[in-house]
Amino acid sequence: MLVAWRYRKRENSFIQSFDPRAWVIFFLCFLFSTLTFWDVRFLLLFFFIAVFSLVTSGVKWHEVRRAFLFIIGLVFFFALLTFLTGRGGSEVYEQEHLIREYRASFSILGWTPVLKVTVERAFYAVSQFVRVSSMAVMTVLIPYSLNPALYGITFKGLGLPDKFAYAMDLTMRFIPTFGRDFQLTMDAQRARGYELEKISGGIVQQVRKLGPIVVPVTIHAIISSEDIIDAMDLRAFGVGPRAWLDVLTYTTRDRILIAAGVLILSASITLGLMGFGKFWVPQVLIQMFS
Amino acid sequence: MDKKFTNVLISLVVVLALFAVVMFVLGAKEPAEGAMFNFSVDQSSVVSRFVFVVIGIAIAFGVYFATQANKAWEVGTREVVWMAIGAALYAVFSFVFNGTVFVVPSASQVALRPAIAIPMFFGFAFGPVVGFFTGAVGNMFGDALTGFGLSPQWSIGNGLIGFISGMWMLFSDKKKSMDMVFYISGALAVIAALLFFLNRSIPNMLYFDVENGIFGDAQISLFAGIAILIGFALIFGVRYFFKNEDVATAVTWGMLGNILGLLFASLSDIVINGLSLPATIVGQFLPAAGPNLIFAAILVPMLVVAYASTRRQSGR
Repeated sequence: MLVAWRYRKRENSFIQSFDPRAWVIFFLCFLFSTLTFWDVRFLLLFFFIAVFSLVTSGVKWHEVRRAFLFIIGLVFFFALLTFLTGRGGSEVYEQEHLIREYRASFSILGWTPVLKVTVERAFYAVSQFVRVSSMAVMTVLIPYSLNPALYGITFKGLGLPDKFAYAMDLTMRFIPTFGRDFQLTMDAQRARGYELEKISGGIVQQVRKLGPIVVPVTIHAIISSEDIIDAMDLRAFGVGPRAWLDVLTYTTRDRILIAAGVLILSASITLGLMGFGKFWVPQVLIQMFS
Repeated sequence: MDKKFTNVLISLVVVLALFAVVMFVLGAKEPAEGAMFNFSVDQSSVVSRFVFVVIGIAIAFGVYFATQANKAWEVGTREVVWMAIGAALYAVFSFVFNGTVFVVPSASQVALRPAIAIPMFFGFAFGPVVGFFTGAVGNMFGDALTGFGLSPQWSIGNGLIGFISGMWMLFSDKKKSMDMVFYISGALAVIAALLFFLNRSIPNMLYFDVENGIFGDAQISLFAGIAILIGFALIFGVRYFFKNEDVATAVTWGMLGNILGLLFASLSDIVINGLSLPATIVGQFLPAAGPNLIFAAILVPMLVVAYASTRRQSGR
């Protein structure tokens, strides 16, 4: 049985008023442009685009609640981690300006935990949060707003050959199904007393524990693929050039969206090459704490 | 050679040449010397990421070009469905295991990924094309699900893992080719581990920050450094003690794929993120490739054996 993403036709949805190809192109331009910047001032623009798309998408909060809480939690956790350890940030800044230093009153094996709160670390955490969450918001919206019936023709329209476009279509359709299968297998094994979380044994033992989940899910997927293969063979898949059920046509608004995406991307790359958009900290704060 | 392939090849070469001119002629000097771009900084990463995607695809295409007549390259209905299944499984597994299983800190966010067994197994069982698609597309969707955006050069690196895992089909003499692969991977593993031991004492490393007292880093680094040797030893053991030719082929080629694919991705970070060679090998390649080998040595044989028995049952 296939499980589908939670797509449905939404009236007044900004995203869904576009050709899926146009939206995918815009999405890719958006992602690569965001990756160019570390400067919060630039990143806020992308954050604004992401929030705008979210608000106008017509997706209800209760539909995306779980996905969002998970992603925002993860992003927040990583931002917090880089903030506490100062790790990762040292790639983009060299000097740190101390705001306050917390020193633990105890020491473990001669090591005293020290938490340095610096201007750079704080801003790095904020930048990281804005950067990753804008990308995440845009990505989460895709399965909710792209009609599964149009996956194949979308990738075909983006220039992939028939067979690979169809493979991409199937991939996107299989992901939720295998996610469900994974959960089912996990529950079934747990009912038999399987414990993944139990930490015991060496590294080999730990890895072997994954076997009872990875093997059944994979083998089941391969066996059930035979049905799909038969169905496709019976319909003479791949014998001649493929005809698609739906036809996509670009309208003016799609062209505008693509143009906007390409414009944002080229502007970002140009700005990046000119040296703009690097990690930025307000001068006022630096002076205040130096 | 039909026209379509020549056209694709020519356009690839042209794109490559264009990027090469931009990167090495215009961008090689320091900005002060009048170079237009300076590619050792983070900001230029978009362009150089693309370059490495093109290079990675060109490598795969080159291998295809050289051995076109081989049956391993046929893409029929079965391969299309297997590609999709492999990619979807890889995406789902990377998504569920990325956050839930322990994470090794390193220069970038490189997690322990038991899911790596999927592209290796699909490459081995269904050929290099399926392997490449599984690794590349699966990694892309996996990253998208986790919400980390995308780093295309790592996707291509993952694709190469699956691709190389399937390349055993191109050689007529299985045993001889396997031995060769074994020696090459062994040599690369030892070189990488040596680099780790030589560079442990260098104080200015990003990920080995003793001064700030980052937790447990020393221990994890040591484990990450020698994990590749542990993995190599495990694969050696699997190959010589299990006496199953399929398992031996799968793990040996999977090992080479893992080492070369990740080497490709981490070497690309020298250009993209401006890391030094030891930093990228010790900070990114080892923490990713070492644990991957351990997962491969244990999970891939399980999958190969299970798949062989289902094939016997169904007669397909």
